[in-house]
Amino acid sequence: MHELSICQSMIRLVDGAMKAHEGARLLRIFVDVGRGSTIEPVLLREAFDVMVSGGPYDGVELVVNSIPLAGRCRACGRSFEYQEIALGCPACGSVSVDIESGLELSVRELEIDD
Amino acid sequence: MAKVNVQEKIQSENERVAAANRAAFAKAGVLVLNLVSSPGSGKTTLLEGTLDRFPAAGLRALVIEGDVCTARDLERVKAHGGSGVQINTGGGCHLSAQMVSEVLGRLDLAAADVVFIENVGNLICPSTYDLGEDAKVVLLSTAEGDDKPMKYPTIFHESTLAVLNKTDLLPYIAFDIAKVEKEIAVLNPRCEILRVSALRGEGMDAWISWIASRLAAKRQSAKRAG
Repeated sequence: MHELSICQSMIRLVDGAMKAHEGARLLRIFVDVGRGSTIEPVLLREAFDVMVSGGPYDGVELVVNSIPLAGRCRACGRSFEYQEIALGCPACGSVSVDIESGLELSVRELEIDD
Repeated sequence: MAKVNVQEKIQSENERVAAANRAAFAKAGVLVLNLVSSPGSGKTTLLEGTLDRFPAAGLRALVIEGDVCTARDLERVKAHGGSGVQINTGGGCHLSAQMVSEVLGRLDLAAADVVFIENVGNLICPSTYDLGEDAKVVLLSTAEGDDKPMKYPTIFHESTLAVLNKTDLLPYIAFDIAKVEKEIAVLNPRCEILRVSALRGEGMDAWISWIASRLAAKRQSAKRAG
């Protein structure tokens, strides 16, 4: 639901990174989005297309790398992949599980034509 | 064609402002609680009941009210002796650290012990935005149904305390409170849980005690550090 705000912050971050490459044309933005981040990749891409329409980033492709949720059980030490943040350990039943990945929301890299 | 390495969190700007807010709150020695829930769970009613009980507990409060439109919640809070500021997001589904930062200058933090930030009613988006609070407190009212923690897991994962509100309705509705408590524990074993009826007053003493002990712990650790 807050994909527009996230998109706004993302574009500001990209603007900052592009300052060091004046004159270059931005082609692609690669972002990492964890499954537990509450951000929906489809909505993020739609928000991006609407926001950049008619501006300097019109036509830039937003490539979303979706990162699975993974956790490690503190009791038995085993790691598992999860569909949701419901972190019971499937092996030993302990509820003491630390999230290892899946909460990411970051710009990894840009592809430019310089 | 070339690659530009960025490796930066999209929320890094929000995190920077949240850290500045947190530093300002720490300097003033106030405890800051970010209240999050869906619309109608009773955040403002909980605040009203809290403000009624604060003088007897020797505590002073400030309130930052977040809503899409109107200052009605701030007016309700003022009617119970509270003071603070209203933020209208104008359609925005959450408060951000920047919005809180912009109103900090209008709050006399030195005259408060606890700052309550009542977020926009929404169980999803506020979980992504650190405001500089000490703890997120998620409210879930019994009228919303007992399936909500598993449907909106992230906010329960992020919260320090879950307040199960409107317990006075339990005799009339199908809400398995034991199941909800068990599921919250699976989502976040570190999340404390309180059963409250903000309207009728049940559980309010435990809520006030929880606030007082968090405040004491914050001031104690500041003293040790300082």
